[in-house]
Amino acid sequence: MDTNVNVAENMNSKKPKSTFFEVLKDFFGKDLVRYIIRRVLMFIPTIFLVSILVFFVIQLPPGDYVSAHISALASEGEILTEDEAEAMRAEYGLDKPVIVQYGMWIRDIIWTPTDSQYYRIHHSHHNWKYSFAFGKNVWDVVEERLGITILVTSIIMIFQYAVSIPIAIYSSTHQYSVGDYVFSVIGFLGTAIPNFILAIVLMYLSYKWTGKANVGLFSQDMMVNGIHWYNFGEFLKRLIIPIIVIGTSGTCGIIRSIRAQMLDEIGRQYTLTARAKGVKERKIVMKYCFRAAINPTVSGLGGILSSLFSGSTVTALVLNMQIQGPQLLQALLTQDMYLAGAIVMIQATLVVVGILLSDIALAFLDPRIRYSGGSR
Amino acid sequence: MNKENILEVKDLRVNIHMMEGELTAVRGVNFEIKKGETLGLVGESGCGKSLTCKAILAINDKKCEASGSIKFNSDESGEVEILDLDPKGDAIRNIRGKQISMIFQEPMVAFSPMYTIGNQINECTRLHITKDKKKSKEISMSVMKKVGIANVEKRYNQYPHEFSGGMLQRALIAMALVCNPKMLIADEPTTALDVTIQAQILELMKSLQKDFNTAILFITHDLGVVAKMCDRVAVMYLGKIVESADTETIYANPLHPYTKGLIGSVHKIGGSRDERLFSIEGTVPLAMNLPIRCGFYDRCTVAIDGLCNKAEPELVEIEPGHKIACFACDHEKCKAECERARKEIAEREKRERRKVEIEAQEAAMAPKKKKLFGRRA
Amino acid sequence: MSKKTRSKEDYYLASQWTLMARKLKKHKLAKISLLVLAILYIGALFADVLAPYGLDTFDSLYKDTAPTKIRCVYEGEFVGPYVFKKVKTTDKKTYTVNVYEDTSEYYKIGLFEHGEEYKILGLIRSDIHLFGVKEGSNGGTGAKVFLFGADSLGRDIFSRVLLGSQISLTIPFASAIISFFLGITIGSVSGYFGGAVDMVIQRIIEVIGAVPQIPLWMALSAAIPAGISTIKIYLYITIILSFINWTGMARIVRGKFLSLKNEDYVMAARLAGVSTWKIIWKHLVPGFMSYLIVSLTLGIPGSIVGETSMSYLGLGIKSPATSWGVLLQEASSVTDVATNPHKLIPIIFVTVTVLAYNFLGDGLRDAADPYK
Repeated sequence: MDTNVNVAENMNSKKPKSTFFEVLKDFFGKDLVRYIIRRVLMFIPTIFLVSILVFFVIQLPPGDYVSAHISALASEGEILTEDEAEAMRAEYGLDKPVIVQYGMWIRDIIWTPTDSQYYRIHHSHHNWKYSFAFGKNVWDVVEERLGITILVTSIIMIFQYAVSIPIAIYSSTHQYSVGDYVFSVIGFLGTAIPNFILAIVLMYLSYKWTGKANVGLFSQDMMVNGIHWYNFGEFLKRLIIPIIVIGTSGTCGIIRSIRAQMLDEIGRQYTLTARAKGVKERKIVMKYCFRAAINPTVSGLGGILSSLFSGSTVTALVLNMQIQGPQLLQALLTQDMYLAGAIVMIQATLVVVGILLSDIALAFLDPRIRYSGGSR
Repeated sequence: MNKENILEVKDLRVNIHMMEGELTAVRGVNFEIKKGETLGLVGESGCGKSLTCKAILAINDKKCEASGSIKFNSDESGEVEILDLDPKGDAIRNIRGKQISMIFQEPMVAFSPMYTIGNQINECTRLHITKDKKKSKEISMSVMKKVGIANVEKRYNQYPHEFSGGMLQRALIAMALVCNPKMLIADEPTTALDVTIQAQILELMKSLQKDFNTAILFITHDLGVVAKMCDRVAVMYLGKIVESADTETIYANPLHPYTKGLIGSVHKIGGSRDERLFSIEGTVPLAMNLPIRCGFYDRCTVAIDGLCNKAEPELVEIEPGHKIACFACDHEKCKAECERARKEIAEREKRERRKVEIEAQEAAMAPKKKKLFGRRA
Repeated sequence: MSKKTRSKEDYYLASQWTLMARKLKKHKLAKISLLVLAILYIGALFADVLAPYGLDTFDSLYKDTAPTKIRCVYEGEFVGPYVFKKVKTTDKKTYTVNVYEDTSEYYKIGLFEHGEEYKILGLIRSDIHLFGVKEGSNGGTGAKVFLFGADSLGRDIFSRVLLGSQISLTIPFASAIISFFLGITIGSVSGYFGGAVDMVIQRIIEVIGAVPQIPLWMALSAAIPAGISTIKIYLYITIILSFINWTGMARIVRGKFLSLKNEDYVMAARLAGVSTWKIIWKHLVPGFMSYLIVSLTLGIPGSIVGETSMSYLGLGIKSPATSWGVLLQEASSVTDVATNPHKLIPIIFVTVTVLAYNFLGDGLRDAADPYK
């Protein structure tokens, strides 16, 4: 939304001809601005459709929380009557038709009015509803792990790019060399071995070599005091295995795609033109080939984010990481639908934002997109 | 090396390593270019023209291997053997773009879409003339003006996709000429353009050649363009030069059947309407595992059986400046070449006959058992 | 005409598929991969014959045992491959149970031994297994051979890997085929008609693509009712996989359509009055079929890893049905791996299959590329 506001500001500042805007205009050109506005507007219906899909999916499991709760109580010997169950359903709005439930759900997330009970208690306009299993507000549950999830995901993402780009450049400029083959083999193995097994094997190896089993993301100290600079190193150490496990599978994909793109670009006519001009080989690779080859990778950012969330979910379960993945599984198994919905919704929104940002970044990187207005 | 010549190519061969085997795309090409002269290199697609000129700049693919000799008369460092230079080294990079530059066939793909035209032209200026940003930009812009790009201030900051094909070709020429090269290689510079633009570009190149006194190696398959542009012409077929002479001689007195065919297939204004346009049958064969014979044999109308399909004619100078490689030419020097070839054929056949005899003997000597289990050949 | 020119002519006249097959034959890695896949699938087809034991046959004596040692020389004499039997004794003083190998008697391994009954391909009743343990040298019975060791219930991992491959190898394949047709149909409609239809389909694809796969999958799997039959679970998982995977194919097809639909030959077909569906299936799709098959092949490995992960988490195939993922549940902690490394053996099968599909896909891609 921020971009939208900025753009609007730019438009307003058009009348008093400021030199700053002149510079801006010269730099971006009008096409870019229009393109960004269009992309941002497209973001809204997409998110809306995502919310429908998410709600549909969390509705799918047979029965609802109340029935799950009743059977849980029954196993402990307590039996609820039909009336009590109905009352419980009514309380959570589970007795209404699905469409009404969806409407209430999405309405409360977008805007909970100031005079509502929820606002009075929680001082928030966004009501993500109630987590049955935790007996808490969904947002309170989600918030605990959202920050750490984003942090871990970002670190892994940076790792992926930092590792894969140099390797891809090396492999493409040294096609069919020993190094190229070695990286290809590692890459193939990385995609072929399921994350969770790699995680377990690495855990085992690290246990064997260091004698410590670093299960989980936090040490005892961090649990109590939180993460600070003094224990950030320890935190990073605990991240090594997750980074390798979650990172490698994606890294291989990025390497393969950049490598293929680079090889494509190296064969292009303009590479030859540059060479005929007397440009240094190194500069040809970086200025002409890499710059063009990176575009598909930038535009794939959303997809990479999505696969990171996917990869981290399974791995987190095995490694007992305190991020959203295990929480989601728990919520799904206990039919804690609003919590599950919130987690999937938040992750999907982050992915859509990632796609949006990468599209905008691509418009900056590739002059052709600016020109055509992004009609890809 | 002759002082008048700027470039001498001797016995240039280019091999391409392919999965299917070795492909000899250029099979011993000889020519030279004088300072300020325009040499036309003519031939169908796939005859090795482009590979020849890429070899001159040493910008061929990794898969290609050039051998022979390409001598360049550099102002700075005297005579340079280009094939001896490291294709990634500084020495060759100092020649590329600065002393020899190249105009490519398709202007649409010769520029990177990621950078402005100005950026890409200026890159050349800054590499070879001055590191000073302001000065180099001035130089680049002045050359852009010179090649007829209007509104240079605006055009300089535009991207290739905002240019038309003709304008891009002008920009490409500007990029090639910005360093005042001694020699220009133009690889079918007008093929991708429509006729009116083509004429403009050719005019432009001619006038610029006058201004800069640049030697041009002009590669084309269009004989009309050759007549307009070139001082001398070399006709290439299947990786070899089959005839070379000055432009007038070639048009007035073409001797090689291939040259004759090429000239015959150009439509002439004023010719009879009923006359069918001449065409050469067939296509250029693939230059892989070629048998020893004249490369044009399959398509030739005057081929001599027993000679043309058994030996390959060498290039002989029949008159000063006019060279031809053909057995079926009446000139006495060609007759001498025929004699040489006949001898060669006779000798080779003798050798082969002996080889067959020896093999037959060996087969007779070999134990019969082997044949029972041996694979059928 | 000489032999050489004829072969050249062949080359020019050969169809796209013949050319592809010819190029693929040159691709060594792809050829090996194809062979490996063929072996794996044939193994899955005849799993009942190849596996010495049934899916749920167990022997608690053999809990967690490492792969059985197969010996050949007994007391200095060559007797052919044989195994020892495990026996259990209880120490009467300490009341501890000792399990050890009884070396007093050897059990030869024989080919085509009678064992449990099963039906080949669900049709022919038989009890002959490729190999099995014969009677002991002193007439004893009850020895077992576990090539890959046994799991925590004493079930033969080798047999279970083979029987599990029937599910692990076919689900990704089946779902790939389904998403293949879904993708082509929806993608071609989107690309061919364009306009509002295209807009809507594009949004749907974008939305499904935006939801991270595994969470989406977990959510969908959670919807599978408990206690349903194996076949139903199988169907559910296949449908879930296809539901998630069709979008990629649809996107490719749409892109191809956008670039092809304005070609002259399509216009010609349309002017000749050919119906839309016929244009799509007869004129357009064959034009990039090879390309689609490549992406189909490259899409399968992802599904295999996905199915394995899901089953491992207990969200995919559930007991009593078995897939490689279910087998790997046995190796779910560091202690498992440390004490019983043989439980990781199924991973070799997953990895080999995924690699084989990847290499085959790469080979196909190279073969389909006319510029190589």
